[in-house]
Amino acid sequence: MSAPTETPAAAVKPSPMSSLKRFVAKPSGALSLAALVVFALTGLIGPLFVDKPGGLGTDILQPPSAEHWFGTDDLGQDVLAQVIWGTRISLTVGVAASAIAIVIGTALGLLGAYVKRADTWVTMVTDLMLSLPLLPLMIIVTAMVGPSVTTLTFVIGLFSWPEVTRLIRSNGMVVVAMPYIDGARALGATGWRIVTRDVLPAVVPLIVVSVLLTAAKAVISEAGLSFLGLGDPDSWSWGRIMLNAQRSGVISTAWWQTLFPSLAILLLVLSATVAGVRFNDSRDPRLKDR
Amino acid sequence: MAERETVLEVDSLVRYFPIRTGLLQRHSGDVRALDGVSFTLGRGETLGIVGESGCGKSTLARTVVGLDKPTSGSVRYRGTDVHRASGSALRKLRRRVQIVLQDPYTSLNPRKTVRDLLTEPFEIHRDVLPGPKRLPRVKELMDLVGLNPDHLDRYPFQFSGGQRQRIGIARALALEPEVVVCDEPVSALDVSVQAQVVNLLRRLQRELGLSYLFIAHDLSVVRHISDRVAVMYLGKAVELGDRRDVYDRPGHPYTRALLEAVPIPEPDGRDTRRRTLLSGDPPSPVDPPSGCRFRTRCPKAQSLCAETEPLLRIGSAPASEVACHFPEGIPSSRGT
Repeated sequence: MSAPTETPAAAVKPSPMSSLKRFVAKPSGALSLAALVVFALTGLIGPLFVDKPGGLGTDILQPPSAEHWFGTDDLGQDVLAQVIWGTRISLTVGVAASAIAIVIGTALGLLGAYVKRADTWVTMVTDLMLSLPLLPLMIIVTAMVGPSVTTLTFVIGLFSWPEVTRLIRSNGMVVVAMPYIDGARALGATGWRIVTRDVLPAVVPLIVVSVLLTAAKAVISEAGLSFLGLGDPDSWSWGRIMLNAQRSGVISTAWWQTLFPSLAILLLVLSATVAGVRFNDSRDPRLKDR
Repeated sequence: MAERETVLEVDSLVRYFPIRTGLLQRHSGDVRALDGVSFTLGRGETLGIVGESGCGKSTLARTVVGLDKPTSGSVRYRGTDVHRASGSALRKLRRRVQIVLQDPYTSLNPRKTVRDLLTEPFEIHRDVLPGPKRLPRVKELMDLVGLNPDHLDRYPFQFSGGQRQRIGIARALALEPEVVVCDEPVSALDVSVQAQVVNLLRRLQRELGLSYLFIAHDLSVVRHISDRVAVMYLGKAVELGDRRDVYDRPGHPYTRALLEAVPIPEPDGRDTRRRTLLSGDPPSPVDPPSGCRFRTRCPKAQSLCAETEPLLRIGSAPASEVACHFPEGIPSSRGT
């Protein structure tokens, strides 16, 4: 047996500070993180400064101006206010749905990786879920349950876990095959202990990346479903702004009404994805220039 | 050989790995990793197991400590069947029979500090030591295996291979086992470090009264540490006996060939040395030869060897057993 050459950094447990520093050392990390922070702050405290859009205004279909930065819609409501309030809902649905998907996905992935007998079933169900046409299914389920923020969150979360399962399972299997797992078994460690103390910590970095990517996808799904009229009619979301533009027939003339929510979606998804990739790179000891 | 109290009894241990092929996973054959291995291990004794790669050594180690289930046969520690035990009997067994794994680079979780690694046995077996006594015990273990107790908060990668193997040994010893299975514990180490680790194992044996099942492919390491030696070939023990008998008066042609293949450091006498070179590779364990498994490579093979399988029995030296129809040092009249 030859000893595997191991970069010392591979096994160093980086302190939280130093790994954050490394993460933002590259512009992609700093910019994506900054964008995510701006979105989070907008969603959290933005609505405190801007009134919830509603009622009828006098300035109808105004293009962007000093008074209405993002213009107004056919009811005279401020699009900027809609986008800010929409940020809150879009982010909430994205984060909550991603949390559901991560919990289910990680649990099933670890189960498949460690318990051989369960693996066949986990793989089968995962493949089945991945092969389903998701959008039509989400539409059917949401329509049957009745549109609300909670429904959207659960529907998106419950349909997003298979990719997480697949990722965690395949990487968990690599860890389960390591000799130190045998060592723990020989000591008498229970399966639960091995999975939570040895396998789970090894896949945590992947979970972080998955959270970001799944949340980005959940935001897109939320916007898509809202645009199709399956969003919560009582709360603003980016998809609903675009739906309103489409319904009122101004989608081709009032470009500002669709451009700004679309830009918000694009920016959020892009920064979440870039942050995920950057996180992965910043932890990869094989990359010299990380 | 003085009569020793038997601690571990391995009785016709068989382990077949089924080969499944095709869409329906049809059972199309078996890899016969272990095919009827029996031996006993006495208290304070070291039994060395040698053999080529793929002869079933590691499967034997894994099966003895219960990481793998045998197809048939049994392993008993002081009367308790390792593979039938459950609950508290199994927990007790885990404490008494431990394993030192082969590769110190992959057998320690890289994300845990030495402190975590050595405290883990006590967290799994909480009844062994109360919380406050664990740290002193961990430090004592570090000391016992020759590591600096100040290095408790280091990670495995910060240690050399030999030091890592010491951590592995400390972990195996934490629960005060009686039997330690060493699965090629030094084969991943440099030669100079090998000697240190082997000597550490010997010292620990003297101090703690351990019994070792010492598995290796290095004949000189096994000679150094073992009281008795078993030679394995294709899942079977072909010779089992006192170390001196096996090394000085090998009964089985395979043992002889193995010993003759060991390089000797002195140039004198190299040219006059008798060497039997084995041709070919070991046959596939999926479809082993009929009769004696060694016959395809044996210089003494006759038609009897293909028909009847030789069993382990007393060979040229009274304290060793040989599975051969025509053992070395005995006129060939014995084959029946």
